[in-house]
Amino acid sequence: MSDTISSTTVAAVKRPNLINSLFPSVISGIVLGVAAAAVAGVLVNRMTTAFSPDSVPNDDAVTAAVYTAWVLFFFIGIGAFNGVFKWAFGRREPTPAEELQLAGKDQGLWRYFRFTTDHKVVGMQYLATVFVLFFFGSMGAFMIRLEQSRPGAIFFNPATYNTIVGMHGIIMIATTIIMVSGPFGNFILPIMIGARDMAFPRLNALSYWLLFAAIPIFFSTLALGGFPTGWTGYAPLAVQELTPGMDAYCFTILVFAVSTTIAAMNIITTVMVMRTRGMTWGRLPILVWGVLLSVILSLTAFPSFIVSQIMVLMDRIFNTSFFLAASGGSNWLYEHLFWFMGHPEVYVIALPAMAVAAELITVFTRKPLFGYRLLVGGLVGISVLSVIVWGHHLYTSGSENALVGPYMLDTELISIPTGIFFLVLVGTLWRGKIWLTVPMLFVCGLLVNFVIGGITGIYLADLPTDEILHGGMFVTAHFHFTLVGAGVFGFFAGLYYWFPKMVGKRLDPLLGRLHFWLFEIGFVGTFTALFYAGLQGEPRWSANIAPPFATPNLIASLFAILIAASVFTFIYNVIHTLVLGERAVANEWGAKTLEWTVPTPVPLENFEELPVVTSLPYDYGSPLPESPVTPAADIAGAITQAPVQPQVEE
Amino acid sequence: MDTSLEHTHEIEPHIKVARARAGVLMLIVSDALAVLAILAGGGYLRALNTEGQYKVAGDFAPAFLPGLLVMIALVLSGLSYFWWERRARKPRETGQTPFFLLALVLMLAAGVAETWIAAALRYGIPIHAYESVQLLLTWFTAVHLLLAAIIGLLLGGRILRGRLVGHEFIAEVVGYWWYYTVIASLLMWLFGMYLT
Repeated sequence: MSDTISSTTVAAVKRPNLINSLFPSVISGIVLGVAAAAVAGVLVNRMTTAFSPDSVPNDDAVTAAVYTAWVLFFFIGIGAFNGVFKWAFGRREPTPAEELQLAGKDQGLWRYFRFTTDHKVVGMQYLATVFVLFFFGSMGAFMIRLEQSRPGAIFFNPATYNTIVGMHGIIMIATTIIMVSGPFGNFILPIMIGARDMAFPRLNALSYWLLFAAIPIFFSTLALGGFPTGWTGYAPLAVQELTPGMDAYCFTILVFAVSTTIAAMNIITTVMVMRTRGMTWGRLPILVWGVLLSVILSLTAFPSFIVSQIMVLMDRIFNTSFFLAASGGSNWLYEHLFWFMGHPEVYVIALPAMAVAAELITVFTRKPLFGYRLLVGGLVGISVLSVIVWGHHLYTSGSENALVGPYMLDTELISIPTGIFFLVLVGTLWRGKIWLTVPMLFVCGLLVNFVIGGITGIYLADLPTDEILHGGMFVTAHFHFTLVGAGVFGFFAGLYYWFPKMVGKRLDPLLGRLHFWLFEIGFVGTFTALFYAGLQGEPRWSANIAPPFATPNLIASLFAILIAASVFTFIYNVIHTLVLGERAVANEWGAKTLEWTVPTPVPLENFEELPVVTSLPYDYGSPLPESPVTPAADIAGAITQAPVQPQVEE
Repeated sequence: MDTSLEHTHEIEPHIKVARARAGVLMLIVSDALAVLAILAGGGYLRALNTEGQYKVAGDFAPAFLPGLLVMIALVLSGLSYFWWERRARKPRETGQTPFFLLALVLMLAAGVAETWIAAALRYGIPIHAYESVQLLLTWFTAVHLLLAAIIGLLLGGRILRGRLVGHEFIAEVVGYWWYYTVIASLLMWLFGMYLT
């Protein structure tokens, strides 16, 4: 038995009946949350009316009370606090049976709708949420392209169009932030480092359900008049905007940021203290590095965003003046606080996706990673530089001239560690035995798209060109090439790669290839056309396109049809696989990281005996019988029995 | 996923300690960055003094003497906690409980007093940037102190039930948050004085 197991306890688990299963669950959470929100709304409405000199309720205060009550009582209803106070007051520790119950033992699919602490359940919850949000975000994008397919208003008035653009932006930014770190960071990462669970399983469930609680708040903006600020929520417009939809926006951001911060704390702690014996920092799989650095950036960047939203809410509810120039406030304060989060957030999205690409490229070239330490250094370099470049978003806002030079320099410096990433990946491909699977296709797509996104970013980092391109479609195309080209393609690469381990079934490779080619061609076509429109001077945030930009916009909209087709192909593939898909084997790709050494489906607590790691998991150049892990008997067997290029997809 | 597991594996005690330390330190880093953002924002607005409206005649600061008393109480609370914690961290020792109780009472009193100071700030509308910053600093401090007091109450429950033995690291990690609360509150108060 491994040293990490101090004792093993047989748990007498009480089998749940129907009532035990339903309560607490997401149903009781929603019921209690909605009821409490209604009561809080009525109470605060009456209180603010009573205290108001002109007997008018404070709508912003009412909205704030409603959402606070919703979040708090949703968590009481879902059972997030059950047993916590008993533990905190030291009345008693949870029993092993209660721990197993909380981890979802013998609860079937219903455990996905409860406050379940098993990291794999949380990973799957994140994955399902990413699918749903990505679908809604994509639908927003298609509505935008539809509206912009020809000049003049077609379907929406400008206010509706603004709300659609803002909702598309927020949904996609939030989704891409959690896209890799949520599903794979929770499901795969702990197994990769040889842990039985995350460091704080309850916090893990809490971070997911906070995200869940934020979703209805966000969609309630539609019923509350929308928010006209776009995804950035710029003040003072956010303060002067009278609809309560803006309060909903601020609350969404607050709840999401708290969720992300909790997840970040948990992942960092997990990697710091839960690694198995021999899993030194120099042997961490690249995915773990990518997710770790991403969440460290989250932890660093999000507090300023939280503070900015607190200030906006104070301005709206209590009539303070953080952002109102007439009373000594400043819009620049918001821009600084926002972009101090906003620019690192790009790398919060990109780093895990880049790490997925690096992780997969060794598997599908059957070669050790070219320059492991170089790549880790590059990723660390990107992380450090990304927190000091936010000022380039304020070039045209009238910021101090003396700051422009340093911001230009440090923004451009990011090209160096990013270039290292490309060097390492191309170096790994060089003379590799390339196995062009669906995940590998998405890795290749990522490389192409991210190069385009990176190079076009240089023009926006330089003041002279940024003065011309700022606020135009060129910027839109650039950040889509970066966030979608890297983030979303990296996610799909990881999804096709780890889906067999997570779900136990293999996604159809033919449909996967169709998905890739539709997506890649549609994506490059759409945003190349928008690059052209931007160079011609088309502004962003315009509901109706001007006639000179009609042709590139029509081309972009036609290519967007291919993206839409790719989304539906993917949805069909997932549903088809879940219903009729082939069962996956334990080590689907003959890979050497630890998650492929555990059985599929993965048992609770992952490992009966914790493995001891003796080398990097990328020694594909070595003869296969040399396993990177011990105990060797069954695990090395799983690796050596896996074909070098199994499951040929033709 | 297979959920037929009938055994739980206990986590080694040293990992429990390490994860508690790391978790609290992460929380402190995150919160400290929020405090830093508020201080930077306040300093920035003061430096900009947009349209000369940052602070106008009639704008006032939170009451000085009650604020000073709160800070003295906090420092004493921190010292008292430190005195108790040094003993409590050692295995088979419960520390000198009166010092913990003193630290808790002082923290609770400071929290209540800071809330009263914040509630007493009845600024007229529009609240100018200077007063906005003061309001945020005062409420942010009050929330921190009340949070620390709640954590102290929970820890007090454990101590009174004699369930700290074997969990001495809890005294240590609560101490991290306790000292951080004292330092952050002191910083915010001094910054408020600087703005004045």
